[in-house]
Amino acid sequence: MKRPAGRDDPKRELWLAWYAILVFYNLYTVVFFILTRTQPPGKPWYGAGDASGWFAHHHDGLLVGFALIFVLGGLSATSIALITYSIRRMSVSRAFAYSYLILYSVSAVPGFLFICVAMTAGAMRPDRDPALQQWLYDLGFLSFSGTMGVFLVGSLIWMAAILLDKNRVFPKWFGYLNLCNALTEVVVAPSWMFDRGVFAWNGLIAWWINVVVFGLYTGVFINLLRNVIIREDFGTGPLPGLPKRARGHAPAEVVS
Amino acid sequence: MTTTQPVTATAKEPRRVPGQPDMWVFVLFESLVFTSYFGVYLYYRAQREEAFLQAQSHLDLWLGVLGTIVLLTSSWSVARCVQTARAGQYRAATRDAFLTAGFGVAFLALKIVEWTGHVQAGHTFTSDDFFQHYFFLTAIHCVHLLIGFVVLGVLVHQLASPDRRSQETVETCATYWHTVDFFWVLIFALLYVVR
Repeated sequence: MKRPAGRDDPKRELWLAWYAILVFYNLYTVVFFILTRTQPPGKPWYGAGDASGWFAHHHDGLLVGFALIFVLGGLSATSIALITYSIRRMSVSRAFAYSYLILYSVSAVPGFLFICVAMTAGAMRPDRDPALQQWLYDLGFLSFSGTMGVFLVGSLIWMAAILLDKNRVFPKWFGYLNLCNALTEVVVAPSWMFDRGVFAWNGLIAWWINVVVFGLYTGVFINLLRNVIIREDFGTGPLPGLPKRARGHAPAEVVS
Repeated sequence: MTTTQPVTATAKEPRRVPGQPDMWVFVLFESLVFTSYFGVYLYYRAQREEAFLQAQSHLDLWLGVLGTIVLLTSSWSVARCVQTARAGQYRAATRDAFLTAGFGVAFLALKIVEWTGHVQAGHTFTSDDFFQHYFFLTAIHCVHLLIGFVVLGVLVHQLASPDRRSQETVETCATYWHTVDFFWVLIFALLYVVR
């Protein structure tokens, strides 16, 4: 393996970023599904009194969970950074990597941070008018579920880069899986129009099917990023294949 | 110049799927996703059968049949494209690809006419449960069709230059187009035919 001069392990930063992704997605699952109970989402048809009651019922979990996100949510940047790095390693224009980086950084604001801010505000101001609390409730869930479309173009850019790449950084099937993910993100858009049924923000089609696809997609890309780091030779040509002893085991050095 | 190799019974080509095997991951995954959409539709249809049947009666079966014929004809033309490209007749293959796109445009036009008619009659995406599913399934299918035009564009681009031509890419693009047709046949059966 080629090692830049004066460096002990040139992959150390990459592994640091990859483990940060693992920490982030585990934190994300614990915070959204267990602590704050914002996933699966609350009932979209709640009126002012119900929304106010929901904030009171979830008060402690919302504060603890989103406090963790405000402190550690920045770890999500490592995911975007490592994917951007992987696109830079491809044989395609750098414009793909920079477009992905900017799109996902911007998308994280409505698609991830808005809900944290809105729900924390609702939980920390129980004395406010219930109508305002309902507004925060709607804002939180609609921004989280209804803005998945802003991630769509990012997924398509990643897909195009993978399909055009000649360095075999990712398998082509993952490029097509990006398209599958992008298509399910379109499906969430109707949640703005409905407060009940399959297309509401907690609906079978708009949320449940979508979250299963997103969960599979996320698991796959985290594993493929791990393989990219194992295969990385810091060259500019095609990435070597996975070494045999790394298949299904702990990360191992690639011998080139 | 090519030399003729004797073909023996033991020298068979290994069996393979048409096009990139990777595209078949998309086909299988999208089939699962569409199956789940169909499952949700059938579940709600079973819950409110009367209301669904009543709303379904507003669909024009023959317009659906016409759209299906147009789309199946596009499948025939893209299959011809694969055959002619395989035979090295790239001009004919390009013509078949354009023909396929033409049928795709005709299908899209039929859908727009159909949607417009329903909206004018007061049957919109938000009007009732059946039309929610109708507009959703036909629209998500049309999104796949629009992507299909991009795929056909890639196909024509590949065929245009001897340096870029790849039979595998031609077959991959055709596989995508057939998949879009396959989804339509299922949507047509569920929305228009099953009463």
